[in-house]
Amino acid sequence: MEFLNPTALFGIFLLPLLLVPYLVRRAPRRLVFSSLLFLRELAARSLGRPWGKPHLPPIFFLQLLLLLLLILALGEPVLSIRPLRIAIVLDNSASMQALEEEKSRFELARERARDLLRGLSANARVDLYLTVPALAQIGDKGLAPGAAPALMGTLAPYDLGDRMVDYGEELSRLVQEKGYERLFFFTDHPGRGGGAIRLVTIGRPRDNLAVTSFRIARLSFASKQQEARIEVTSFSAKEEKVKVTLKGGGRILASRALTVGARKSVATSFQDFPAYPAYEAEIEVDDALALDNRRFAVAPPSGALEILAISPRPQALYSLRSIPGLSLQVISPEAYERIGSEGHSLEIFHFSAPSLLPRKHALFVLPPVENPLVAVGRPISRPTISGWREPHPLTRYVNFALLRPPYARPLKPLSFGESVVESPDGAVAVGLERQGFRYLALGFDPFPYLGRENLPMSIFTLNLLEWFNEALRGPGAATGEPLDLGARAGETVISPGGEKLIVGESAALFSRTFFQGFYELARGQRKEIVAVNLQDAKESDLGDPAPIELKGEPAASGSGFSLFAFWPYFLLASILLLFLEWFWGRPAAQA
Amino acid sequence: MLPAPFTADFISRLEALRLKTRKQFLGSRPGSYSSPRRGTSLEFADYRRYSPGDDIRYLDWGIFARSDRLYVKLFREEVDLFAYLFIDASGSMGFPSPAAKFSRACHVALALAYVVLANHDHVKLHLLQQGGAPVASPFYRGRHRIMDCIDFVSSSTPSGPVEMAPALAEHLQRLRRPGKAILLSDFLMAPASYQQGLNLLRALNLDISVIQVLARPELSPPFPRGGLALVDSESRAELQIQWGGELRREYGERLERHNRELKSFCHQSGIHYSLFVTDGELDEFVLETLPTIGLFK
Repeated sequence: MEFLNPTALFGIFLLPLLLVPYLVRRAPRRLVFSSLLFLRELAARSLGRPWGKPHLPPIFFLQLLLLLLLILALGEPVLSIRPLRIAIVLDNSASMQALEEEKSRFELARERARDLLRGLSANARVDLYLTVPALAQIGDKGLAPGAAPALMGTLAPYDLGDRMVDYGEELSRLVQEKGYERLFFFTDHPGRGGGAIRLVTIGRPRDNLAVTSFRIARLSFASKQQEARIEVTSFSAKEEKVKVTLKGGGRILASRALTVGARKSVATSFQDFPAYPAYEAEIEVDDALALDNRRFAVAPPSGALEILAISPRPQALYSLRSIPGLSLQVISPEAYERIGSEGHSLEIFHFSAPSLLPRKHALFVLPPVENPLVAVGRPISRPTISGWREPHPLTRYVNFALLRPPYARPLKPLSFGESVVESPDGAVAVGLERQGFRYLALGFDPFPYLGRENLPMSIFTLNLLEWFNEALRGPGAATGEPLDLGARAGETVISPGGEKLIVGESAALFSRTFFQGFYELARGQRKEIVAVNLQDAKESDLGDPAPIELKGEPAASGSGFSLFAFWPYFLLASILLLFLEWFWGRPAAQA
Repeated sequence: MLPAPFTADFISRLEALRLKTRKQFLGSRPGSYSSPRRGTSLEFADYRRYSPGDDIRYLDWGIFARSDRLYVKLFREEVDLFAYLFIDASGSMGFPSPAAKFSRACHVALALAYVVLANHDHVKLHLLQQGGAPVASPFYRGRHRIMDCIDFVSSSTPSGPVEMAPALAEHLQRLRRPGKAILLSDFLMAPASYQQGLNLLRALNLDISVIQVLARPELSPPFPRGGLALVDSESRAELQIQWGGELRREYGERLERHNRELKSFCHQSGIHYSLFVTDGELDEFVLETLPTIGLFK
């Protein structure tokens, strides 16, 4: 027989404490007796001792037995021989980088796993797994217990959040498929395992602060002035003071002290700083997780908003050239089919539509019935605007009472999308985002752009251009999110750690974004930088990690019985006996 | 109404009993107990020379025939008995409850009183109580006065500390006629205290009997093990002890030694002694135990 949770056996050292209530003199019970004549001399001998003579009734031994059984049950004894098929699953998500005193949680998990491996039979075989980016086996199958620690030493946690999966189900399936006798899951989440799956929780709740948002943007698409917006969130139970620093080109550009309330967020912004291709925001604080104290962002495109307009009626669109910061090219729908849209960041389909949704931001103005985005309704003359979403970047500052397009058609999203502006006959503006691209379909024609002559429509036009421009500078990518670098085979991606990765033959996406920082795509002489950040706030919340519910899967083979399932009953029986003892120990009825 | 133990059978058996005295007393009326005086009973006492005026019916003609001298036969006088029942009404007699100990002691006293009353003798009940004037009933005579005896004992409750010797002395100051004294108490007091009290009774030339009344919890206290704060039922003094098996044994030994000393003193002083444990049967004690110590004829 062996114990799966031998730590519980240390409870045996606490058993002598059970003697204390029996040894310590109880508060004397007051009883009336006929005469104390014969008791006075006897009392003089027994008084003055803090400890009474040990009186151990039979119930004491019953209690001792039950507590012993309880400790044994918590030790999880099994009659099996030592398991031979073991799986060790190490949680390598970002929160495992959190420091516990001097060591990270991941290092502690490795040490616990090594201790576990030392206790295994030499004939045992061990498989190692990591949880992110996907539950995957590391190294060879069936490692000897002596070989597994060396492999574990090469592993490190990624800057990735936990996957949104049911670990209980996934690990149970792994146990069943691979036939493991025991699976040990080392993680920083609380919970408890059952059956063949053992959950080993590493670390304890810690306070933490994080930079949860960092964005560099131009004040408007026509402006060259940049603004840095930084949001700091506290996952601490007390108010914290931090210094926020904006860096660019290896220099400190600006800094500010902030006070962040307990479990609150504070945002701050910097302006008038020199232009650099990439920026870094950092908070100076000594907390548990250093990873989320930094965040990265790249500068927005400095050039004009490049628009490709596809229209059978180009005249109306030429008016957009009066807006500063725009670069407009107008082509016919036939020409679009022929030459494509290389080099433009926004496409405007004016009374036209492509057969498939373009992989670019796109505006559809009165699209034909055959379009991939919306169903188009019957024409309506001089519609009134009856509703609009508020707040929304598209409806900002627009007086919809004065917005009276001469002609409109109601729209209905084909699959998904949200109505932004509505008439009594249906939506006349539908917006949606898909795969990082923004699409807007209008049931009325906002062009030509007339400036002050049609102020509501002009404001609406500027709003939609700003909405697309905002999408262009984007928040960057999250760790683990594939990057659509448009890289061709043979081009090189340099990771934040300086590692050079050659893009494969068929790779349209670069998916090894496991660490936050700047990813640099070397495309001949031109370099493209993408900022990748940890964007899972749950990883930063070290004080209240989500518990993991594991199902009690039976081991694939081996183990006989387990007393562990009965421990609540032993505890209950112990408590009942204590009550009985109290009841029996009451003073006898007195006169 | 008679208490529960006094069944018709028990009462009829009590009527067959008579108190036995080892001393002769001067009674007030003719009765069935010997008096030191010469009288007209059937029990021969002595001879005396004939004097003119003597009743010639008592001349012993046999002696005159043999010695030609006139002698008259003298007979003992038989008188009634005065019985005094002293009941300890101290606080300790109320343990574990007045009904369990004091009432049981009163039942014994009532049974003895009935025996006396049934023989047309005189009985007087005395309560040994705390302070104040001594509480005693008048002399009762005739079996119908048993109800008065019941009323008398029912009106009292045990309380407070009682020093036996001073309490008895108060009662004895008012005692004029010698007779039979029966003392009912738990005697849970220092030996010197009860010895002084019993010696007072002896000094008055009373025929003394002692009935020690103890409750079962006094013989083997049912205390739980562990620390106890015991309160004396009389003095209310508190005593903290660590109760356990050893203490229980030593307590039993000391109580037994105490009772042995009491019994020994009574034996040396010519006093009848008997122990009544309150959970025992009253009729068994009165009809079987008390005759064995010579309390009844």
